[in-house]
Amino acid sequence: MKKLVITTVIALMGLAPAMTMASPQEDLKKFRSYYFKKFPGVKLQRYADGIYGINEGRRIEWEAMEEFPPYEPGVEIGKELFEKYNIGKCFKNGGIGIRQNYPWFNKKTGKVHTLEGDIMSCLKKNGVDTKKAKIGFKKGKMAAISAYMGYTSRGKKLNVVVPNDERALKIYNRGKRHFYAKRGQLNMSCADCHMYYAGMMARGNVLSPALGHVTGFPVYRKKWEFKGGGNPALAGFGTIQRRYGGCNKQVRAKPFKAQKAEYTALEYFHTYMSNGIKVNAPSIRQ
Amino acid sequence: MRKIIPFAIAAAFALGACASGGGSSEANKGDASSAITAAEHEKKRAKGKGYEWRDTGKIIKKAKKAMKAGDYDKAVKLANKAKRQSTNALAQYEQQKNAGPNY
Repeated sequence: MKKLVITTVIALMGLAPAMTMASPQEDLKKFRSYYFKKFPGVKLQRYADGIYGINEGRRIEWEAMEEFPPYEPGVEIGKELFEKYNIGKCFKNGGIGIRQNYPWFNKKTGKVHTLEGDIMSCLKKNGVDTKKAKIGFKKGKMAAISAYMGYTSRGKKLNVVVPNDERALKIYNRGKRHFYAKRGQLNMSCADCHMYYAGMMARGNVLSPALGHVTGFPVYRKKWEFKGGGNPALAGFGTIQRRYGGCNKQVRAKPFKAQKAEYTALEYFHTYMSNGIKVNAPSIRQ
Repeated sequence: MRKIIPFAIAAAFALGACASGGGSSEANKGDASSAITAAEHEKKRAKGKGYEWRDTGKIIKKAKKAMKAGDYDKAVKLANKAKRQSTNALAQYEQQKNAGPNY
């Protein structure tokens, strides 16, 4: 009997890590099949459109907005800034059509790079005083540059690589844990809203599916546009990490700083889950 | 009847003063200060785990403001509320540290 108990305990101990340490490929497969069951008939590429991919009524509204896209002047400004600060020279292919490969894992440093993080490094390398130029990580000029780079990548499929490297997997699993862990006074996780309740209403808003979320970022968000601030053409722009902060605040958790380890890990996991979906940045969101 | 009315008014004032505390406080400055210190300590622990709640810092600020204004009861009440939030946040962290998909 004693032996049986010990054997069972050891077997369970062995099983526990195996359950939590599924490979990224296995995660992706299960993540995707969850949405396919939840929204039968919605094709993978449709998830790039957020709620407009799953809600026909809202899609009509969105298509009308897309006839005169409010983000176009901002993308133009982004292009001007991209050229002014000579950003292309820091990136492969002159920074054109590369958004789909972000975030990427740097084997030399063991760190994950985001597009906004690399743009900031480039600006500093090129001698730009980012404080004086008022370039931060979440909105305004940074989001405009990133939106322009995303715009040049439209139609290219997301291709984030999580190599079989302990350091990359550690970051990936940190992001995965953040996605599924409940937090804040409302005790809710990213997955609660964007998986289990996706498609349902939260007040006047339809909750978007997490699958395909990242393809449209930086987004042009109506809420941010109304909030205003700075150049009106850029007011609606925000990066994915700006949105993460907003989501955490909404569940009454203290947000993390943009481009620090926690949100970068989340972006790594979140984007990997949408591999194979075409980039359509910048997108209009509610 | 004439005698009853002033008496009733006086009694009502006295009761009102009792209900509002009349500016007197059961907690003292030391109580408020130690409650705030305890709340700050717990908040630091929650922050260390990356699990601080959004409003905890704001509540501590309000507690400090109440202490400055001499309202020690209010300061203690707010500081205890903030501490409770961080205690719950830490329990939430423990519960969620191995969170995974629910499908």
